[in-house]
Amino acid sequence: MQWLMRPVPALPIIGSFADRLLLADLPDLPPSDRRLAVDFVAHRVDNLPSFTRFGVMVLGFVFRGLLAVPGGFGVAKVLVKLPLPLVAEYPRLIRSLAFAYVWETWPNTTATGAKVAATA
Amino acid sequence: MSMQRATATMDADVLIVGTGAGGATTAAILAEAGLDVLLVEEGDWVEQGAVVPFSLDQMDRQYRSGGVTVALGMPSIAYTEGCCAGGGTEVNSGLYWRPPGELLARWREQFDISDFDPDDLLAIADEVEADISVSTVPGGHTSPSEVLRRGADALGWRNGEIPRWMKYPPSKLASEPRSAVGERQSMTRTYLPRAMKAGARLALRCRVDRLVTNAGSARSAVTTLGDGSRGEITFRDVFVCGGAIQSPALLQRSGIRGHIGRTLAVHPTVKLAARFADALNVPDDVPVHQVKEFAPHLSFGGSASNPGLVALALLDQWATFKHAITQWRNISVYYAAITSEGRGRVRSLPGLKDPLVTYGLTHRDRELLRSGLGRLALLMLEAGATDVYPSFKGAPVVRNRRDLATMQGAFTAARASVMTVHLCSTVPMGEIEGKCGADSFGRVHGCRNIYVNDASLLPTAPGVNPQASVMAVAIRNARRFLDAGGCRG
Repeated sequence: MQWLMRPVPALPIIGSFADRLLLADLPDLPPSDRRLAVDFVAHRVDNLPSFTRFGVMVLGFVFRGLLAVPGGFGVAKVLVKLPLPLVAEYPRLIRSLAFAYVWETWPNTTATGAKVAATA
Repeated sequence: MSMQRATATMDADVLIVGTGAGGATTAAILAEAGLDVLLVEEGDWVEQGAVVPFSLDQMDRQYRSGGVTVALGMPSIAYTEGCCAGGGTEVNSGLYWRPPGELLARWREQFDISDFDPDDLLAIADEVEADISVSTVPGGHTSPSEVLRRGADALGWRNGEIPRWMKYPPSKLASEPRSAVGERQSMTRTYLPRAMKAGARLALRCRVDRLVTNAGSARSAVTTLGDGSRGEITFRDVFVCGGAIQSPALLQRSGIRGHIGRTLAVHPTVKLAARFADALNVPDDVPVHQVKEFAPHLSFGGSASNPGLVALALLDQWATFKHAITQWRNISVYYAAITSEGRGRVRSLPGLKDPLVTYGLTHRDRELLRSGLGRLALLMLEAGATDVYPSFKGAPVVRNRRDLATMQGAFTAARASVMTVHLCSTVPMGEIEGKCGADSFGRVHGCRNIYVNDASLLPTAPGVNPQASVMAVAIRNARRFLDAGGCRG
């Protein structure tokens, strides 16, 4: 269990799922900004309290595995809608961190992730 | 001031672990009495103004785990802990509520707390209020704050401005008469400088991993320094003031069990975002009005509402709420907080640095959250909100009273984003060993020289911001320690 706590960086484990999730939620967010948001999420996961981080990393492994098979992301989307405790918390954590980052960093982002010019 | 780099070996008469409302006040009282005091703090000293309040940068630098901490349960409850010099006083709303006298009397009776006279505590509260400049806003209130007043007045609900520990420089007020210009009188501005002026030393980036105990006495602490190296601190007495999560966790890691960490109490809150016709958002401050018509069971207030936090408030029902995000300047976030009958636990697990925190809401808590969110939404409509976005999965947009019934029918606590900022009661004080972790003055039951002096001691969640209660109790206990011949016993 210890090896899941600190030494393994979160980005390789959760990065691909976080990226897909953000692409689905915010399709017009520029890829470079999406990458920054995913990096931010991974950094925050790296600093989670031990037990929470363990849970997130386990779920991260499961979801990364799902993404490796054709149609896996669709399965993952169905899975997170089931009333399964903690499983639904995983995408919620990722989206919470990413959305907070996106709108704090670029407040003039639209609901689809597009940037609009700031108005006076 | 005597801020020092933590070193591998340090010693003091009194070691104080943590620099928040409990630790800073304890340090000031003991240092001014001439004791050799060493304060250790896991985080850094962050000057006011160095970070934007309620920003992600602040969370990185002043919160534990970047502000992403959660008590697991159904639903899980997000909470935050300060992790910097000054602790939670550096990052909270700064709203001040002195402890209600009847609550203090109830604590005394139910937990058999000796020499716990409410009048004495309230006299200490008078001192604290002078020390930290508790005052109301001399200028006008922010628009999000006025929303609470306006909505409550329309409904005939009791409400008022809550004073804050702030100083308001006249020069700034003249140019910008808003509450945001206040200078927070947190621990880094008040009790910590006072303690250091009296000779206390402060070592930053020093985590106490455990106390080395033997037959109920502790003589040293094992530490981890900022560079990852290990250290040791020797002392005669130790005050554990790490807050309601870290204090019981440290005691448990030190092999001290008893009634430690079993009765975590919080004020669970649910939120909504309210949209108005005109711009009102204040990204870097919170409203000073609160609605207390249904207190102590239920209270309403305003939350930080920068664009990132508005997005978070809309997240649970993003599919239908998302288009509101471009109107964030017209949106502010509000909360309904309850006094919970549920309880949580803090458990240190072998091999893990951080404790496992759990919390269970009761059926009554869930119903109170439901009715609280409904009443808060009603208040927003009365205040002129055009759209109300409750923060739970499956929530409808509320635009009129008819929508309120739909909203309350759809609400379940398990679908909601429940959070809290007030954590207490994990080492309750009192003489009943079966329900108290520490005695009437904070000494851990079964231990000779280990004291707790922070929010952990409060027997229950007070129903109001607990900082004033924490400070009054901590000062009382520190003085008692001196009266009892502390460090010479």
